[in-house]
Amino acid sequence: MDLPPLTMELLSQLVASNAPPSQLYEALSRYELQACLLSTGGDSTLLSLFYSSFFLVHLLTDQVSEGRALTKRIPEALLHQDPSLQNCLTLLRAVWQTQHGQVYQILRGLPWPDVLQPLVRRYESFYQDKTLIAVSRSYEAIRLATAATHLGLDEQLAEKEDPNIISNFTKCGWTWDPESKLLYPKPIVVSPAEPQSSDGIRKAMAMLGTHAV
Amino acid sequence: MTLLSDMISASAHLNNSNQLPSDEYDRRIRELVEYFRRLQSTKALDSLVSDKSVLDPLLGATLVKDAMLRLDPSCAVFTSSHLLLVRLCLQAKAYSCALPVLNKQICHFPISLGRSSSEPSVLCADHGSAVSFMTEAAGVSSKLSYREYLQYFLYGGMVYMALKKWRNALHFLGIVISTPSTSSVSLIMVEAYKKWVLVGLLEKGKLCSPPSITVPHVTKVYQSLAKPYIILARAFERGDLKRLNAEIDAAKGVWCADNNVGLVSQVVGAFFSQTVIKLGKTFAALTVADLSKQVFPSPVCADITGSAVSSLIMSHALSATLVQTKDHARSSMLRFSSINSLPRLSHELDLQSQLEQEMRLMETLVINLGETNNNLGLSDEYVDSLNKGQAWSGSSEVNPILGEEGGLEMDEDLMGDMS
Repeated sequence: MDLPPLTMELLSQLVASNAPPSQLYEALSRYELQACLLSTGGDSTLLSLFYSSFFLVHLLTDQVSEGRALTKRIPEALLHQDPSLQNCLTLLRAVWQTQHGQVYQILRGLPWPDVLQPLVRRYESFYQDKTLIAVSRSYEAIRLATAATHLGLDEQLAEKEDPNIISNFTKCGWTWDPESKLLYPKPIVVSPAEPQSSDGIRKAMAMLGTHAV
Repeated sequence: MTLLSDMISASAHLNNSNQLPSDEYDRRIRELVEYFRRLQSTKALDSLVSDKSVLDPLLGATLVKDAMLRLDPSCAVFTSSHLLLVRLCLQAKAYSCALPVLNKQICHFPISLGRSSSEPSVLCADHGSAVSFMTEAAGVSSKLSYREYLQYFLYGGMVYMALKKWRNALHFLGIVISTPSTSSVSLIMVEAYKKWVLVGLLEKGKLCSPPSITVPHVTKVYQSLAKPYIILARAFERGDLKRLNAEIDAAKGVWCADNNVGLVSQVVGAFFSQTVIKLGKTFAALTVADLSKQVFPSPVCADITGSAVSSLIMSHALSATLVQTKDHARSSMLRFSSINSLPRLSHELDLQSQLEQEMRLMETLVINLGETNNNLGLSDEYVDSLNKGQAWSGSSEVNPILGEEGGLEMDEDLMGDMS
């Protein structure tokens, strides 16, 4: 195969690169076969780093079910002994159960290898953005402390109505009412990933017209 | 290991061959077809499925997927490789590896070129559709049976279930359970029906009827052979959690024997969300405390209910919004307002995206329908019926096959020499 062999240097470069998540996913997918062949008697540090990175990239591309399937493909001995992969399992459980507070605790509090730090930070930011969008669509009015918990902000400061915490939300267009002590979210609209073609609907309607009997 | 090395070297040539000169491209395609033939004849990958110690099935799945997509990017012709790929993916637990093939529409079986074998299709030629070169004679597929066809859709459904794409899983299972059968019902179809019941509860919260094209006597057979599943579904539909748990405990052995324990446990998990969704059909709004009383038979902390409801809304399982109050002691209000929960622009963007997807699907179907129409027009059966039409048009009686218009414009028997 044309792929260069999987090494620590190559993996570190990939993880530290600022490539879009989908590209990272594609790149690491291609190395899974090599990792698979290395799993018998290969370098366990390299394997641990590969599988941890690949798992985080699954989460970064919002493929939680596939990420869960990946944990079933990791060699069992490695999965049970390696602390980094154990962190991944704990993170998966928290993400699966939508325990927002726990997700931030795991990402910030657990000891992740230095090489993985760029991915962990990227996922934290991704998770925060994703949750912000979800909260903006799910609540018409929300207490500051609840919103802070969802976004991994300091709850104690939120209880004290800290202006910095409030500004995190108001800069997204949310309204803060000091009387009711509630935030009024403005729903965040996200365009679909695919570029919108201006004549998409027209074409679809034309097709329906042509082929309808 | 010769075959393994052959597989790896052939797969190495799969990628980056778009810019090749035509003779080199043709050579590589021939090599790929040969590689496929060897896969089919030696059954090497079958051994990966049955014996994981030979080699990780992930390797086989990746190679087969790459080869299939390289040979026929549309994957519109059903081959034995389809089944092989899905089996390998299930074995390797690499579910998303099967998606590039599973998500494609299958429109044809490999055609037999018995009649026109004098003009074998040239692989390097420009083909409008894969059906012209994915033939039985090309050797890219072993002989397919009814059983393999059912297995592919059952396993495909299982891949979607593993990825929690319930709607796609229902579609695949629906194909299996509605497959025409003359007298007996295949065990594969019964297995699919059992999963259909559970997936229906997970996706729609109710016992789904089989697709309308299912023969009534087959439906009766399903219902008699899958009684514990029907009873479970009825308890779910009634919204009776105690009864549901009792039914699950009573038939534990059945779920284990059918390998459906995982799905049944997810059904219990889905009970809460489906009950809340059903309440939305009755109430416009409810406090979380009232909701908790309606859903759970024993008292549950309002915070737990609130957090569960919030998770449901955020995961798009429930169209509603939550309204909190300043006072922590007062329960939050849940508003079932699907129309107001999202801004209009978001609805329109979603709608546009859906329409575009449907348009692409329609385009694929229209192209393949034309191809099928063309193939049917060249089939022996059609030519025979045209001949008969000619004979009928000679007499004053109306042709029973083609009706009054059939064959009227045929001046001479153009296809006569082909029969």
